[in-house]
Amino acid sequence: MSKSPVVIELNGVTKQFGRFKAVADATVAIAKGEVVGFVGANGAGKTTTISMMLGFLGATKGEVRLFGETIRPQTAHRLHGRIGYASGDMELPLNLTGKQYLTFLLHQSNTKESRLAELIQRLSPQLDKKIGKLSRGNRQKIALVAAFVTNPDVLILDEPTSGLDPAMQEAFLALVRDTQANGKTVFMSSHYLQEVMDACSRVILMHNGKIILDKLTDELLTQGGKHITIKSAYRPTKPPKKAEEVETSFEDGLLTMKFVYKTDVAELQSWLAAVKQLKDVEISEYNLEETFKSLYEAEETA
Amino acid sequence: MMRSVYLKTLYDKRYFLFGWTIAFAAIAALLASFYPAMHQDGAIDELLKSMPAAFQGLIGSLADLSRFDTYIASQLFDIRMPLIAGIMAIILGIGLSVNDEEKGELRTVLSLPIGRTKLLVQKWFAMLTIMVVVVLGMVAGMYAVLPFIDIASIEPDVVVRLSAMTLLIMVTFGTIPFAVGFASGRRAAATGISILIIIGSFILSTFGQAVDWLSDYEKLSLLHYFPAVDIVKDGIQASDALVFAIVTIGLLAASIVIFRGRDIA
Repeated sequence: MSKSPVVIELNGVTKQFGRFKAVADATVAIAKGEVVGFVGANGAGKTTTISMMLGFLGATKGEVRLFGETIRPQTAHRLHGRIGYASGDMELPLNLTGKQYLTFLLHQSNTKESRLAELIQRLSPQLDKKIGKLSRGNRQKIALVAAFVTNPDVLILDEPTSGLDPAMQEAFLALVRDTQANGKTVFMSSHYLQEVMDACSRVILMHNGKIILDKLTDELLTQGGKHITIKSAYRPTKPPKKAEEVETSFEDGLLTMKFVYKTDVAELQSWLAAVKQLKDVEISEYNLEETFKSLYEAEETA
Repeated sequence: MMRSVYLKTLYDKRYFLFGWTIAFAAIAALLASFYPAMHQDGAIDELLKSMPAAFQGLIGSLADLSRFDTYIASQLFDIRMPLIAGIMAIILGIGLSVNDEEKGELRTVLSLPIGRTKLLVQKWFAMLTIMVVVVLGMVAGMYAVLPFIDIASIEPDVVVRLSAMTLLIMVTFGTIPFAVGFASGRRAAATGISILIIIGSFILSTFGQAVDWLSDYEKLSLLHYFPAVDIVKDGIQASDALVFAIVTIGLLAASIVIFRGRDIA
């Protein structure tokens, strides 16, 4: 996807638990500086894939490489100094304060580079209380500070915003954008598709352990077009020529017409002007969720 | 304080360390304080010696109760202390190995630049440190009551020998669940195997003295290698210490090899 060096690589990776194949033949290459959204339903295999990237799990087949080095449970720690990790269900040491945990982390990382002051300002974590006494959202803030504090080359984040309030989600997304601007790589799984569309330059979709979509976000948006909904009191309204997936309904004397328009919406100006008794027009971005649903259905059928 | 896994583990276990040190000191002090009664009443000595062999095994070796060193060896170190030490060691070994993985904290720690071998070894040394402190607490408890027992005195080298062997058996008992826990990640396996070994050892050592067919297997008991009264009289047998060392080092090495390569839940 990019000419920058590849920092995360999965080559035909399979992970099997007994007879259950959690990840099947996954192949992905992520270049330096990319922000990749990793999406899929619960149980799709996202966390298992991330666990293999970090060396918590070994691949049954295939190879996981980070910074060009094969990741194995025995040696993964050698690369962890260059990786920041946080997950939505991360279990931090409950009997330590946030400050004690970060002190421990910084000693292990043996780094002099610390973004702690900046991160405290941006995420406002409570560092003086025992982690066990904090709310889920406040624990998550500490997990995020821990992931970013050493300014790592790669951030691997597994549903990082779960438990955060909207303001903190926004602060996190701003942090991701700044991180990308500094040339760092971010690989994040998320359930929030809008978050992925807002923050990520590339989207990978996993379903039943298989990667079923891997595209640049811009490509997806262009390919998907815009969703147009008009309401008119005049029933025999015809859709524009290039409209796709047209759906019409008539209720309480009001016609509702929905369609997808994949070329420039400015072209619709003359068509809209011609619609009689136009009551409302709504133009929305490409709906990633619906595309994913259709991809899931196609995969299930196959 | 939070500079290493070793220091973090000691910090995590500070209440455990405090509680068990007090408990061991109290047990040692209590048993030492009974000495005047045992010493002055020869009838107790006679009574104990007249008991059936199986019952004698349960209450410890019957040594000369007129001497404090053999009294303390038989009544504190022979069966009670190794058993209590074993129970404490098993609780500690399980706590240090499977607890973090069950809670999900092991993944958090392993996401940092900490090797699995380093993590395991530092935790083991933290366990060893806790055990050293607990044993020192036991010795301190015993010495604390000596001024109140005018008739009692004990050679420091006897105390060193008994304490060293207590520490060895404690470390061995602790390493069993520690190693099984790290190797398997399963509490049930770590607990089951450890309890089987400690209860098996207890049965073989106590009833082995009276039941012929059991006595053939007495050497399978870890308690067999801690003959407290003999240690007072003849010193530590190198072969006994070697058994504990081999079991401990063997289990530790095997657990490192397995833990390094296995999946973390």
